[in-house]
Amino acid sequence: MTTVIQAEHLKFSYGDKTVLKDINLTVQPGEIVGLIGANGAGKTTFLNILLGLLAGTGEVSVFGQRPGAPDSKVRLGSMLQGDMVIAGTTVGDLMQLAAAQSPRALDPDALLNEFHLSDLKPQRLGILSGGQLRRITFAVALVGNPDLLFLDEPTVGMDAQSRKAFWTQIEQLRQQGKTMVITSHYLEEIQQVADRLLILQNGRFVFNGSLQALQKQHLGATITCETDLQSAIFNGLPAVDKVQLVAPKLIIHSTDGDQTLRALVPMLDRLHQVSVTRESLEDIFLQLTGKDDEK
Amino acid sequence: MKTFKTQLAFDGKRLILRNFSYIFFSLLMPAGFYLLFTKVMVSGSSTQMKPFYVSYMDSMIVYSVLISALFGIAAILKRDRDQGLVTFLSLSAHGTFPYYLSVAFWMLMMSLFSVAVMGSLAVGINGVSLHFDQWLSLFGVVLIGQLPIMLIGIGLSYIRRYETLSLASNLITFPMAIVSGLWWPINMLPKWLQSIGELMPTYFVNQLLNQLTSRAKVDLTNLLGIVAWFVVTGLLVIVLSKHEQRKSVALGEA
Repeated sequence: MTTVIQAEHLKFSYGDKTVLKDINLTVQPGEIVGLIGANGAGKTTFLNILLGLLAGTGEVSVFGQRPGAPDSKVRLGSMLQGDMVIAGTTVGDLMQLAAAQSPRALDPDALLNEFHLSDLKPQRLGILSGGQLRRITFAVALVGNPDLLFLDEPTVGMDAQSRKAFWTQIEQLRQQGKTMVITSHYLEEIQQVADRLLILQNGRFVFNGSLQALQKQHLGATITCETDLQSAIFNGLPAVDKVQLVAPKLIIHSTDGDQTLRALVPMLDRLHQVSVTRESLEDIFLQLTGKDDEK
Repeated sequence: MKTFKTQLAFDGKRLILRNFSYIFFSLLMPAGFYLLFTKVMVSGSSTQMKPFYVSYMDSMIVYSVLISALFGIAAILKRDRDQGLVTFLSLSAHGTFPYYLSVAFWMLMMSLFSVAVMGSLAVGINGVSLHFDQWLSLFGVVLIGQLPIMLIGIGLSYIRRYETLSLASNLITFPMAIVSGLWWPINMLPKWLQSIGELMPTYFVNQLLNQLTSRAKVDLTNLLGIVAWFVVTGLLVIVLSKHEQRKSVALGEA
């Protein structure tokens, strides 16, 4: 199968400011890639290069062609930041226009129905809420029946229900074999769907792999329990970073949860209400990006 | 072709049918002026006024084209760029060509529509009578004459702030209308202002229309004036468009 996205030694600058320094990436068909990074890390710039809106230096291809080539555009859908609030335009008009852009388009009415947005079809875009507009923008991105989707902060402005519906739709698209590159600030959501995570920091990927691989590199865990033992005992256990007593709970911060847990086994009789929380993607993300910032 | 037809339908609805303010300012207001100055505020007999009914119809057609371009096109293009429609279409396989073609089509249609409306008022209310060939050449001159004015509107659309755009549109439209003799005869203005007015694209178009509708000898320097404005404004739009592209990249807005 052809590689969907290929980037080698990609660089990009806005004038004197280098945004992307040395980006290397391969995305295979059907992959869902989560692109995360702090504000200004270059996520949108990277997507804009893949879309052909900006030109970087280095080798970049989408479906084996230069970004923005007409043949690859037909297979591409995008949901960029900001929604099109076009005056005098209804949801139905916008969907028709979007469908007319692709020879392989889906039926716009059927898609609105599938998204439970049929009621909005006669509504003008200007009167819709932020969340509704985001969902319409998603439908517009999909109506061309693309093989590759770029979703830039797709759930910003959506309420909890809409966000849940959105991620369910992403799962359905995965089953259809769609390839997706998603940027989001909701890391707990992106970690649920992404096959692979890319963490962009200072113009480079500081991590490129699965969440499991990332967690293997970052074994930290927080162990919480109630005990009658002295807290000083826990300070001496392997990989323990810090022990806090927040009566009646004892909180042990470990840099290697498995190692610390093994050392706790002999004391289990004296420990109650034990819970273990692995480091979340957000914790790891903050560690990774924080470290780089300090440099 | 399907893409273009859909784009035409899309733009026809949003730019014309559901855009009352645009229709009001570029069509109803000049029509209202025509009625006001030929029916209400009149000072001569019907025979004396006959030439004025025709020449003022010409002026209001040009005024309608001017408003349509400097307020209509400028705002439409700017909004479409700012709201992401142009980016969305540029990411499609067909690109933005059908969009620009469609916007241009509707602007041309609006100009022809303004000829039809002013013409109907002139014929129906003031008894103006022109031959078929005069009407036909009137449509032709309006189609050609509006091109440099449309290009000025396109140029204005590159102004970054809406407030500045609105100010610029006002500052160009009304002085241009006055000095080129659209509101009242140019010979009522001071000489130095007449010299400026006689260089305006609206003056050239108005003069051509006046010559055609009064069966006077057509002065081709007016046509040359329109061509010169077309070349200059065309180059200006090309420069502004390139500059905008570079600026968007520099600001990361593309």
